[in-house]
Amino acid sequence: MKLLNTYKKIALFVGVLTLAACAHEDQPSESQLNFNQPAKTELDKWIDANYVAPYNINAQYKWNQNTVDNSRYLFPPTINKVQPALEIVKQIWLMSYATIGGADFVKKIAPREIVLVGGVNSNSNGTRTLGIAEGGQRITLFEVDNINKSNRAIVSEFIHTIQHEYIHILNQTKPFDEQAWGKITPSGYTATWHLETTQASRELGYITSYARSNVVEDFAETASIILISTKAEYAAILAGISSPKARADIQRKEAIVVQYFKDTFNMDFYALRDEAEKNTTYVINN
Amino acid sequence: MKIKNIFRYLVVAVLAVQLTSCTSTEVEQKFDKTPTERLDAQKSELQEALLTSPEGWKAVYFTDDKQLGGFTHLFKFTSDGKVEMASDFNLASTTKSTSEYEIQLGSTVSLVFTTKNKIHLLSDSNPLTAPNAALQGKGYLGDFQFLYYGEENGELIFKANRSNGDGTSKEIRFVKATAQDWTDLPKNIDMIANVVGSSSRPLFRLFETNDGTTKHQFDFAFTPKTRFSTSNSIETGSTAVNNMGIGYTPTGIVVSPAVEVKGQKLTNFVYNAVDGSFTATGTDGVSAVIKYSDKPLLLTDDYKILLPGKPYAWFGFYIDDYTVDASTNSTLFFTELDKINAMLPQGQEIASVQLYLNHSLGNFIYYTFVGRAAIFHYVDVVEDAAGKKVILKHKSWNGNATAAAPNFLASFDKYLTDANGIYVKKENFRLVYTNTVYTFTSSSSPFRMTTWKLN
Repeated sequence: MKLLNTYKKIALFVGVLTLAACAHEDQPSESQLNFNQPAKTELDKWIDANYVAPYNINAQYKWNQNTVDNSRYLFPPTINKVQPALEIVKQIWLMSYATIGGADFVKKIAPREIVLVGGVNSNSNGTRTLGIAEGGQRITLFEVDNINKSNRAIVSEFIHTIQHEYIHILNQTKPFDEQAWGKITPSGYTATWHLETTQASRELGYITSYARSNVVEDFAETASIILISTKAEYAAILAGISSPKARADIQRKEAIVVQYFKDTFNMDFYALRDEAEKNTTYVINN
Repeated sequence: MKIKNIFRYLVVAVLAVQLTSCTSTEVEQKFDKTPTERLDAQKSELQEALLTSPEGWKAVYFTDDKQLGGFTHLFKFTSDGKVEMASDFNLASTTKSTSEYEIQLGSTVSLVFTTKNKIHLLSDSNPLTAPNAALQGKGYLGDFQFLYYGEENGELIFKANRSNGDGTSKEIRFVKATAQDWTDLPKNIDMIANVVGSSSRPLFRLFETNDGTTKHQFDFAFTPKTRFSTSNSIETGSTAVNNMGIGYTPTGIVVSPAVEVKGQKLTNFVYNAVDGSFTATGTDGVSAVIKYSDKPLLLTDDYKILLPGKPYAWFGFYIDDYTVDASTNSTLFFTELDKINAMLPQGQEIASVQLYLNHSLGNFIYYTFVGRAAIFHYVDVVEDAAGKKVILKHKSWNGNATAAAPNFLASFDKYLTDANGIYVKKENFRLVYTNTVYTFTSSSSPFRMTTWKLN
């Protein structure tokens, strides 16, 4: 058994060697990645102070190919249009919801990122996409270069986009009853909504032609049109519809919107509208 | 001894592992540095290179030279992430403005113009500014994220991040700019009119290559909105084409793809203000030229329809009918019509210009008016067989051989009765009606009238 003992010793020695063999590997040195933060401009600091710090929302205006559709021909905004656009967004959307829904409302349910694009986003059917809401996380706003705070029509269209996209974000977070909604005007939805006139669509029970593209857009359009209109303006829209059924259908949709805000977020939708109107007037006059 | 054998094998196996276990941990290093270090090095190389040229950089950006021309951009980068830019996209864009840039690290190092400036004008999908219907929603197919491919002879080489439809992506070269480049940029805009062509120049334009011994001729058509020219060979049996994207320079044009003559690549054409031509010169007598000609590129025998002995032929241009809309009428022709009206008394104006050949009354130009009697200008028709044209030789006004031309008609009439002759062409288009269309072109001035053949 002597030989076996010798083997045992050798085996032990080799085993120790095996364990020790790789023990002297280099310790990891400092990262080779360059993680220096780029210098912040005045605008970046303003965004930090007004969006990132209070709301945890990043406002991205510099071009990043990963946050846009590269098959489209888009471009970043002109730098001096960025702050005015973000001021409008903050005043009319963030502050209105904060007042009515509570200070923490938009902090909890908000896109984590707002992407600003300077140019037009053209679709092949000749329409323009004004905004996109994705996965409850990101809102992209187009045509930022056209912003002119003193032009009510431009500001209204821009606000319409924000309100519309935020309704999508809310829906993407807490769904509404799509089936009940779809039963109100089941037959008028069409892919060629852009060929319809607003008035004709209203006579069918849709607040805009775009509302006819599908149930989700219908909800967002109904809610956002009420939000960007004053009480009197909205009443005038309803009064302009000659079909009593169409008018009743829009009011039924309105009721679902109001109920959705009440049940899901415990918010008074009409109070929100009044607050948004107040803030819109403020933006245009300042 | 069985267990002993097992131990033996085990020991051998462990030893074998021992010997091999640490041999392959070292991968053969093809480079001195890690990929991260190399990307970082390339990033700082580009950053430094951008700052090396004191007057910045110049790039003529041909986004797709199969359908669009080139746009000259000037860039001046600063170390704080700002870039001053101007371009010859339009007159307004020649004024420089500042925006931001970044050197981004993705799959490779790229230069990105992160906020809007002149270069983004090429990526504007606004339907109102589309260069043509096919590019609706695509702007000028431009990009502003340029992948860095290194430096060559002091030039920075980039490729657009956005690839063309065929999978290729366009190379963009940054060459060092001079102070002169910045001050001369508006001159590129002035050059546009010269490429478009002037109505005071001869009517025909051609593109001609010369390899030192033989010349090849092409027609030349240019679309200003796309900055693109098309040229098809005018030689019988040849299907050669020479389509080019055109970029403007203060002294002429730069084209892409290059014109290849006898293996030489010609890209820079110099403008000659005297005759309106653009010439690119190579070596050994090789050249290419875009030039004007009073002579149609293709001469036909269509003129023979006017000759004596042929059947009666009647042609007419009418001011209040579709003949007036023909694009083949030249500017000079309309100017001369206006001149007639300006000299006529109030309430009178020219209504038509007609040509009667081999009529029972003879050959004559027949002018009709609103508010006054028609005028006959009798002529003899003389053939210029070598030049493939006819000369309408004055005989008499209204049958009176000694009468002078009516003063209001003299200027207009001299183009039709050009002593050097007129070219006659049977066109292959129609003007609404089924009548054949003929044009009459003065051989020594840019005067061309479009008519219907009326019998």
